[in-house]
Amino acid sequence: MKFYKDHYDVIVIGGALAGLSSALMLADKGKDVLVLERHNLPGGIASSFVRGGIEIEAALHEMMSIGEKDNRLKVGKFFDDMGVDIEWLKVPEAYHASLPGLEVTLHPGLETFSKEIDAVVPGTYEKVLGLLNLCNTVFDSVNELSIHPMSKAQMLLKHEAFVKTAGYTTKEVIDSFDLPKAAQDLLAPYWIYVGSGFSDLPFTIYSVLMADYVGYGSYIPRKFSHEMSLKMAERAEAMGVQIEYRQHVDKILVKDGKAYGVRTARGDEIFADYVISSSYPNKVYTSMIEPPSAVPAKAIKMVNGRRLSLTAFSVIMILDDTAENLGIKDYSVFRGDTMDTDALYRDLAGLGPYRYLTCICHNLGNDTATPQGTCSYSITTLPRVDGWKTVKAEDYDKVKHKVAKQMIDDMSAYLGVNLLDHILEIVIETPMTINRYTNAWNGCIYGYAHTMDDHIIARLQTAEAESFIKHLEFSGAHAISGDGMGPAVTNGRKAAKNVLDSMAAEEAANQ
Amino acid sequence: MKIKGFLKDVTGASRVTKARLSAFENASAVPEKNDPIADVVAQWHPKKFDVKIVDIRDASPTAKTVRFVRADGQKLPFFYAGQFVVLDFKIGNSIISRPYSLSSAPFEARMENSFAEITVRRSKGDGFIADYVNTELKVGDTLQAMMGCGQFYYEPLRDAKHVVALAGGVGITPFASMAKEIANGTLDFDLTILYGSVASDDIILKDELDALKSDKVHVVHVLSGDEPDWKGERGFLSAELIKKYSAPDTSYFICGPQAMYLYLREELKKLGAPARRVRFEVFGQAKDITKFSGYPVALTNHVFNLTVRRGIHEDVIPAKATESLVVALERAGIRIETACRSGECGFCRTKVLSGSVYVCPENDGRRAADKDFGYVHACAAYPTSDLTIKIPIE
Repeated sequence: MKFYKDHYDVIVIGGALAGLSSALMLADKGKDVLVLERHNLPGGIASSFVRGGIEIEAALHEMMSIGEKDNRLKVGKFFDDMGVDIEWLKVPEAYHASLPGLEVTLHPGLETFSKEIDAVVPGTYEKVLGLLNLCNTVFDSVNELSIHPMSKAQMLLKHEAFVKTAGYTTKEVIDSFDLPKAAQDLLAPYWIYVGSGFSDLPFTIYSVLMADYVGYGSYIPRKFSHEMSLKMAERAEAMGVQIEYRQHVDKILVKDGKAYGVRTARGDEIFADYVISSSYPNKVYTSMIEPPSAVPAKAIKMVNGRRLSLTAFSVIMILDDTAENLGIKDYSVFRGDTMDTDALYRDLAGLGPYRYLTCICHNLGNDTATPQGTCSYSITTLPRVDGWKTVKAEDYDKVKHKVAKQMIDDMSAYLGVNLLDHILEIVIETPMTINRYTNAWNGCIYGYAHTMDDHIIARLQTAEAESFIKHLEFSGAHAISGDGMGPAVTNGRKAAKNVLDSMAAEEAANQ
Repeated sequence: MKIKGFLKDVTGASRVTKARLSAFENASAVPEKNDPIADVVAQWHPKKFDVKIVDIRDASPTAKTVRFVRADGQKLPFFYAGQFVVLDFKIGNSIISRPYSLSSAPFEARMENSFAEITVRRSKGDGFIADYVNTELKVGDTLQAMMGCGQFYYEPLRDAKHVVALAGGVGITPFASMAKEIANGTLDFDLTILYGSVASDDIILKDELDALKSDKVHVVHVLSGDEPDWKGERGFLSAELIKKYSAPDTSYFICGPQAMYLYLREELKKLGAPARRVRFEVFGQAKDITKFSGYPVALTNHVFNLTVRRGIHEDVIPAKATESLVVALERAGIRIETACRSGECGFCRTKVLSGSVYVCPENDGRRAADKDFGYVHACAAYPTSDLTIKIPIE
């Protein structure tokens, strides 16, 4: 029985957001694409599941880079351009910050956000807006430069703020604004979405984060992130992409330094001109390349020289009463007993108690999220993989329940309601859960940490030299743009663009 | 603009690039293949593995307990008491999967001589595999297994400290597992099992259960049949009887035949038990799909053409209107992965490319977006026209 064509232009390993974005873009350019996904549905952690008849979001809190219908940002525009028609709901607030001495709800819009901070920390409006405007200028430059690269001299002329902040940490730039501590604290909660403490987080990344989320707000699909993933997959199939689920790719076949196909766990050998891998470089270079001798020592040094970023631990509950009756007022709450991101980052290497929690009540952003009379409530921390790597199988259940209980107790105290008395369904997602369903290396969802020695600008500078195996591209959180569902789409598009550029270059050379 | 000084400001990009390259230069060149997170996953949720039957014994005059071990000598995976194993039976050209609640306890799977058990009752004519297990399966046979599956287990963050288990027939098995785990001291709640049977002869695992009775485990047999010498409880598992054994805050766990589910839904309503305190094990494959609301009974005797796409390959097979797509595929020897066979787990998620199906309303566990795009869970979908589906290549 023949399940595959003799040859494809491109094989994409992994049918999550990055892989599907690659597939969409390649299919749009008429390429023959095969997507192999090991789970039985698309999306990776951009998914949902059903418990007790209720559909539950698996991961997505808020999607960046979407924008209003008539003023789309890059990811929203990409979906529109590809004909992926998602029902986006705008999240009502940026966040509610629950920090020592501060209980503040902030809304999107650079000016609105600055005014709301000023209302709590008077006299900071100009400076906060100045910082956010700087973020926005850097953000615009990043977006433009990603499409139109230019010389360094030109860049300094046209993208001064981008160039001049590139070598600094978030802390260094924020410090230069001389803001009171409370204002600094209110500008920090989104840090967890990029996952490094401010004394190691490139300001470039902070800029993109703040300009995008605060400037344009965030969005969720009405039918959970599965709506987004499924619509991408359906659209890709309609454009001729072959997607095969439950196909685990074991090996990437390489000859003369060039990828030419894959072998699946079933034993199918499938051939293509190019392979795009959503599997981490760590996995690919240590156990997937066949023959292993095709992996240069430099590739190993590269993966060993990078630090894995964050994984996730989430307690997801369906509660037996409405948000209103339970006193849940905000769609998203960031709660911390400090806003010292460096200290929080250090703590994330352990197994709790975690001091910085992200809580989402979907019903307050999506009126059809759960059946009437119920609501969904999730409490999430994004630990580093380090602590979880020490958990033994026999202790796993105990550790998982202990951490979950601490998080539930903490938020119960905050809400003044014992959440334990209201649980209809509960699911505890751990790094192990993520690894189980997505095979992500060490259960890591964030790829490599955004740090000063793994800066996005440096990644772009050295990308070409790090293409160790020809015709093999990487797309996923571990690619240049790093973590997040918006960046996953960008990473997928970048991998596809690299393939298209390479195809064009080789075609030109052959003529 | 200025952050620190012109020269330092404009050389940022080269500074960070150098930093990155030097981090790589200083890194080890030894491949690090270890993924300790994946190692834990492999002990809780391994890929399918072979098991060997090592013992088969009577669990009642009509049921057998089958003990198995991993064929490769490793320990069986961790699981929660109440979960099920999916066993694949090769019969003729077909591979047919069945979920069975494990009647052994999790700790027994992790002992030095690791084993697990299922208990299967001979059917009254409709349980093809149940009969196979009771009559054909032998010690030494090898099957493929996947465990632990399902959501029917005690969750300490959600459930009450006092649990009343309502069991019917072979639905006793998950509670036997829980009772053993409690007796072992590795699970902590008070379990009262109300076990309904027609006759004392029908009681499955009676001796094992009675031996587990303690201050934490209570077993109450309830007979619905007319047995003059019976000294215990009689009748059905009525609201009145349930109430008698309930504490003020009780979680109810229910596992048994479909008729019992329909009955108990009403009884538990009478008790006023809050939704979060009531947990049913999955419904199981509909015994007679024509009895469900909205089923197009006029089609009952139809056999449709089912075109099955796997990759670029297509087969056309017959599909009876009264049998699920999974059954049609298994009859035709086309492998499809299933687990719960109750529409809940989504293992058999299948795209209907053309044609129409009836989805059993008791077993419609689909995601909303999946419904919009014609996905079904093939174990709960019945053909109502010729149709084309796409399933994963196994």
